[in-house]
Amino acid sequence: MRRRLLAAVTIAGGAAVAVAVARRRLGRLRLERGLSALQLAARGGMRYAGSAPRLFAAAGEHRQQLRQDLALQTAEDVAATLGTMKGVLMKIGQMASYIDDGLSPSVRRTLSRLQDSVPPMSAELAAAVVESELGMPPERAFARWDPEPIAAASIGQVHRAITLDGRAVAVKVQYPGIAETIAADLENVALLRRMLRITAPSQDVDGLIAELSLRVSEELDYRREAANQRLLAAYYQGHPTISIPAIIDELSTPRIVTSELADGVRFAELATWPQHERDLAAETIYRFVFRSLYEVHAFNGDPHPGNYLFHGGGRVTFLDFGLVKHFTTDELKPLMQMVRHLCVDNDPEAFRASLESAGFLRAGAPLSTETVVEHLAVFYDMIRTPGDRTITGDYSSAVVRRFFDVRSPVTAYASIPRSYVILQRINLGLFGLLGGLSATANWRAIAEEIWPFVQGPASTPMGEAEAAWRAARVTGRLSSGRESSAPNRDDGSGVWKAIARQFSPEESAHDP
Amino acid sequence: MRPAEPGRMPEATQVTTDPYAAATGLVARSAAAYASGVPEAPADDGFFGPGSVTWRMSADLAAPIAGLRALLLQALHPLAMAGVDEHSGWREDPVGRLAATSAYVSVISFGDKAAAERAAGRVRGIHQRIRGVDRVTGRPYAASDPALLLWVHAALVESALAARRIFGTPLSDGDSDGYVAEMVVAAELVGVPRTQIPASVAGLQRYISSVLPELRCTPAASESMAYLLDPPGLPEDIAEIWQDVRDGAIAALPEWALAMYGYGPPGPLTPGRRTEIRQALGVLDAVFIGEPGVLEARQRLTSRMRAARIA
Repeated sequence: MRRRLLAAVTIAGGAAVAVAVARRRLGRLRLERGLSALQLAARGGMRYAGSAPRLFAAAGEHRQQLRQDLALQTAEDVAATLGTMKGVLMKIGQMASYIDDGLSPSVRRTLSRLQDSVPPMSAELAAAVVESELGMPPERAFARWDPEPIAAASIGQVHRAITLDGRAVAVKVQYPGIAETIAADLENVALLRRMLRITAPSQDVDGLIAELSLRVSEELDYRREAANQRLLAAYYQGHPTISIPAIIDELSTPRIVTSELADGVRFAELATWPQHERDLAAETIYRFVFRSLYEVHAFNGDPHPGNYLFHGGGRVTFLDFGLVKHFTTDELKPLMQMVRHLCVDNDPEAFRASLESAGFLRAGAPLSTETVVEHLAVFYDMIRTPGDRTITGDYSSAVVRRFFDVRSPVTAYASIPRSYVILQRINLGLFGLLGGLSATANWRAIAEEIWPFVQGPASTPMGEAEAAWRAARVTGRLSSGRESSAPNRDDGSGVWKAIARQFSPEESAHDP
Repeated sequence: MRPAEPGRMPEATQVTTDPYAAATGLVARSAAAYASGVPEAPADDGFFGPGSVTWRMSADLAAPIAGLRALLLQALHPLAMAGVDEHSGWREDPVGRLAATSAYVSVISFGDKAAAERAAGRVRGIHQRIRGVDRVTGRPYAASDPALLLWVHAALVESALAARRIFGTPLSDGDSDGYVAEMVVAAELVGVPRTQIPASVAGLQRYISSVLPELRCTPAASESMAYLLDPPGLPEDIAEIWQDVRDGAIAALPEWALAMYGYGPPGPLTPGRRTEIRQALGVLDAVFIGEPGVLEARQRLTSRMRAARIA
């Protein structure tokens, strides 16, 4: 209670002194050091001086309600809370939260209660993690550091801070020891198999476990997340509506990741905005998902509503890149063939053949192609024909229900190959998100802009702005070559050309 | 580590009367029982309180193993077993009987003094009416007999320590002694004279050794063990996890108890198997947290313990 009151004072006054009062236990010496660091930074960081205090304060206003009275004090507390399968179950829960309809109510309740059961770290424990990662305590590494987290992350928590050069940042701090305990628990495949058989009965459990293990172990190393975010931030630099906060390299390590703080409206509030705004936001999300997939070959595996900030006019900030799946050209090819054969060529037999070659459908299944198309077409409904389509909540539920429809004759012969497990989940998450906005657009026309095998013309004002951005990116790169020196830079343009070649009409005519 | 079939079944299995009812709702009812004992607005800290070893041990992962092991030990006293078997509705509603015990332990541990004394008074009242003659030994028994109550108490306390030592977070020697000493009042509440109650780990072990000659596996004990180790009617997922809990409880039993139940000496518990059992306990705990009221009850306790630590 006390701490919350003080945090409110901080927001109201914006004064570093109030932060220091909140940290009274840290002692006078550190307070003075922190203040002098702030003064030093104020001279060097004029460029951010305008927005940083406002963003810092806004992040406090949007603070999640976390039970500080239950805060984890030691690494042993963390192990007791998240060790022995609980952290793993939470990750399963996180992945399963997009497939609610496939879960029994009791399993859903268990998984969501488990997430509620994890308290934040105490200020001291979080500071200890920062110190072990950066070699100095947070109040020296940053000009301002809010010891109270602003949000829970699945295996860590987010603190707001201002860097020594004056940037307002979000610092995600991982629970200490969590990587080790989750890694050990993921080795108990027999137990995981039991759990998942119950959690997602209609799924390829072993494929799911393999994918889950891979994703979770990647997510535990925040350097991976930072690299993903850097990759996408670089690709979308200058995009008219898509914004991705920059990673602060020197303040990012395996256990903490620091990125620029962004302000905006949460999904729940967007849902109260006029329909036109919701449509624009949905269009941006749609463009982001499929541009990322087709051009960066990356898919953000966490389309949770909490991972977006909305700014109006369709501008969206995308957060949290802990669960990004990268696709090889070979993995992407069947997906494109499927959409192309069904939606563009209108060739059901070719569609079926591509399903079979990708492993989605057992070859030679005693099913008519009509049945197969009828079963799966619902996933493509919004893009099979041109024209405005509204994605209703009913439609997105129907998609999810179809996915888990064990009575369909197709189900016995269908499966999700391992590399697509996450894609399918996210796809369903995307439908859920767009359905939640009741978004209307000519999705087919937008898809045609993005499909490498069509490269359709801009179909909306946003599409025009995006086309201009794309043109500027290409000329910018040709003229300067400046961006090519950036680490992890891969905008996929070479890959894009390769894919376009694969899908050129001459070649597909010879497809078996 | 998988137990062999209980080999030497005691004679006179035909004494069996009724079959056991299915263990439907075991987790849900245990959870409700636990949550019911943790007060929202306690008048005082009760007989233990937020600074006690008892509270600190309460959320330990190994609790289900402690409980199962305690039941397996308690059942080896023929007179205690006879009282339960013939009077408590144990066969008709085993889950209800276990839930009642869980609720009792919860309110004694976490309730305020008035709630704990009320619950203890009720139990003493019930015990007054339970008397009989054990069909196996021919000895008369009374549930209010301090000797029987003390055995039940000692089995629970010693099992809590053993389960945590092997599968949970072990206590220091000082805390172990502290726990046994704290628990004295629990035995007093059901009617055991204070002077008879062990107040240290060494005292507890001496007491258990002194009772050993009276212990044996009667048919009722054997049947109730068979039921507890593989309760029919559990949902499939819980049943699979229960196999690990069962293995854990058996691994934690003393050799003499294993011998009475017809098991050979336990093989060594490998670190890998221990980890697997702990992981199963973790899943079970997650399921437990998912039941209504459990998380809130735990948070009430944690919050009070944190406050006590800071004060």
